[in-house]
Amino acid sequence: MTGTGALARLQAAFASAVTGGDEAAVAAQLAGDPALARRRLAIYREAIGANRRGALRSAYPVVARLVGEAFFDEAARRLADSAPPACADLNRYGDGFPAFLTTYPHAGQMPWLADVARLEWAWHEALSAADAPGIDFAALAAVPAEEEPALRFSLHPSVRLVSSAWPVLAIWEANQPERDGAPDRDEGADDVLLWREDGRVRMALLDPLDAAFVAAIGRGIPLEEAAGSEGWNFAPMLARLAEHGLLAGFAGPPSGG
Amino acid sequence: MPARFPPRAPDPATAGIGLRTPHFEALAARTPPLSFLEVHSENYFAEGGPALAWLERFRADYAVSLHGVGLSLGSADPLDPRHLDRLAALAGRIEPALVSEHLCWSSIGGTHLGELLPLPYTEEALAHVCRRVTEVQERLRRPILVENVSAYVRFVSSTIPEGEFVAEVARRTGCGVLFDVNNAWVNAANHGTDPRAILDALEPASVGEIHLAGYEATRDGLVDTHGARVFPEVWALYEETLARLGQVPTLVEWDNDIPPLDVLLGEATLANAILASAGARSRAAA
Repeated sequence: MTGTGALARLQAAFASAVTGGDEAAVAAQLAGDPALARRRLAIYREAIGANRRGALRSAYPVVARLVGEAFFDEAARRLADSAPPACADLNRYGDGFPAFLTTYPHAGQMPWLADVARLEWAWHEALSAADAPGIDFAALAAVPAEEEPALRFSLHPSVRLVSSAWPVLAIWEANQPERDGAPDRDEGADDVLLWREDGRVRMALLDPLDAAFVAAIGRGIPLEEAAGSEGWNFAPMLARLAEHGLLAGFAGPPSGG
Repeated sequence: MPARFPPRAPDPATAGIGLRTPHFEALAARTPPLSFLEVHSENYFAEGGPALAWLERFRADYAVSLHGVGLSLGSADPLDPRHLDRLAALAGRIEPALVSEHLCWSSIGGTHLGELLPLPYTEEALAHVCRRVTEVQERLRRPILVENVSAYVRFVSSTIPEGEFVAEVARRTGCGVLFDVNNAWVNAANHGTDPRAILDALEPASVGEIHLAGYEATRDGLVDTHGARVFPEVWALYEETLARLGQVPTLVEWDNDIPPLDVLLGEATLANAILASAGARSRAAA
């Protein structure tokens, strides 16, 4: 809770003035030439706006390119007004941007925009997620065959799965700095797997059964149940997860230890 | 927990630089002689990933200073416990030689403004800041350094000169002072005060680090951008500072429009020359 003393009142008035609110309350408390003091207050207002825009732009470079500077800056300003940073680490700011875009009227002509933003936020999260040692392959190899169907795996903390009705991965790839913005595909739906490997975020397009399997594994569902449909061979996907370090650990059935 | 890194302290005879992402590769390839590297603590608050891995790698070769920009020591809000936890975790992981924060506020009512905002220099603010510096020092189990900030506005309610405010925080809490020479210059120019006033007020032994940076001159005054070379008048004030204090670990900051590493190393070399003459003077006086 914020205190009620003079310091708390001054800070509340100052914060309001530098985030687009009324200046009068704080202006009365500034020393020196009033006109100059107000212009100096604007230095703070502009810096705060620029920091927030900058943080959002660095997390959402593809959205920024798709919509252009004026659109992006206005969206950033409205997001900051409705959901200002709640934490001093601006790397964590902007998680609400995809949801904001789904209801932002000016984004209506780009129905894929919010999903592209979800993909970018997943990428951003994957980059700074916790580190984890890889799975113990020797211990895994020692699991008796009859216990394998009951194994539960845990995924590396960086793993994210983004599903969209739009070709979001193709849009993302086409809007990297070296590309001209024209996607290779104009149809989705895309199930995109993201993970961090050797310090870099990687992405792969999965087919729907693979995606459902990875999602189930991520929820801690036992292997056989996660594999789902009859006769579907989960082994290639499991091997792929293992090879790229997406499996962080495993637990056997309760009785088998 | 056993130490993971060799203990390293900044060499007061040579300057350090702020560590920024664009320089990671060049710095790792060259490992130039530097007193220490300083990072903005919040840039390493992630749980994992490449930035932390780089910092750990640099920590093996250099003393590291964790310089906070978001703890909001002067805010009327309670200290953010998650922020303190993350800072404590980072300090545990990196084993820094120095930990510092600003004498300012940056959040109120749960909203973070992300700027170093000026405090009114009142008895209320002084007592409040001192309680919080003590809280942080108890949590981290070490003394911190607090930095004088640049302030573009001043408040009519201020009753304590800035230098006395800073000195009194150090006196009451046992923390050290990070004296930012550029900020002292910027404030003096913007408010028509004496740039030496802060220095006059400080206990020489309390100053544990010095910052140097560049500002930008605008029609509304000097803005502390950390985006330019150190200005000649700031070098002169730095020289005067060392003449009074002797050698103090010195950092060249450059956070915006980041130049090639060599430009930053060039600024550090200029600081080294001034540090060397301060060292020679101290030896002659001894």
